[in-house]
Amino acid sequence: MEFDRFFKFSQLLLRDEFVLSYSGYVSEDILEAVGDTLRQRLENHARSDKQIRNVFSIFVELMQNIIRYGVDGPQPGPSDSEKPSFGIVMVSENEGKMDVMAGNFVSNDEAQMLQSRMAFLQTQTPDQLRLLYRQRLREMPENHSKGASLGLIEIARRSTVPLTYEITHSSDGLSFFMIRATV
Amino acid sequence: MTHFTIDATSRTPSIQLDDKAGTLIIAGESYPEDVRRFYATLSEQLAVFFSTRPERLHVTIKLTYFNSGSARALMELIDQLEDAAKKEIEVKVSWYCDPDDDITREFAEDIALDAQAASVQILDLDGDTDR
Repeated sequence: MEFDRFFKFSQLLLRDEFVLSYSGYVSEDILEAVGDTLRQRLENHARSDKQIRNVFSIFVELMQNIIRYGVDGPQPGPSDSEKPSFGIVMVSENEGKMDVMAGNFVSNDEAQMLQSRMAFLQTQTPDQLRLLYRQRLREMPENHSKGASLGLIEIARRSTVPLTYEITHSSDGLSFFMIRATV
Repeated sequence: MTHFTIDATSRTPSIQLDDKAGTLIIAGESYPEDVRRFYATLSEQLAVFFSTRPERLHVTIKLTYFNSGSARALMELIDQLEDAAKKEIEVKVSWYCDPDDDITREFAEDIALDAQAASVQILDLDGDTDR
């Protein structure tokens, strides 16, 4: 990498409000290692134990969603792993609130499904989310074609504002899905 | 017979099933890499214990954090306890939740609604005050 790109990258990430970021291939081992680091960082940044718990909980669900539903990035992944899932997760602080964001590549079909799930979740009140969570628990895990996953509902419940998302389509049959929760 | 113990790891809770005392304690954090396999082991041990037709079981749940996958496993655990309670085993669950973790408390409350024969009590994690 050229120094000017490297410098721009460091300028972007070394600001005060930045708590933690990981980008690359995501596995259960990485989830654990990055999760431990996140907890240590949150001790210095978060306002309360409650905020730490909610940020950590959202982080775990986001990482596990990438592991389960993410696909390879545009650069081919390590060939020895079973199913490479490429993603980025970032936690940043903004006037006492924590934004937890994640982005990952998904197939265009999956992107369309995510779009409708997210749009639906945004309309739900906390009580409706609670009920939805309870209903989803009773259903078989990941009947993949319908409804938001338990993990997404958990994220929506622990976010203090409705989740926001964006999907950018790229030419190669993949979309990049981005989601933001705030605690 | 069944005296079954699993030590806690950073991602899995400790589990202690004591057949003589009739107690099961689950404590720690729960976001296992393979959540089905982790809780299947507990479920098998419980089935063995219930097959000895014990009089009672007192379950203590003290989980400071669990992910959504573990939530489903916990629901299935309560279902198994409910089935045993219907077969005249006295089952009591003391579920300790952090007082400022609304989501976990609501989950425990919702799960408690599904238990009729088994009694599920929700308590505060720090101090034992009933709510």
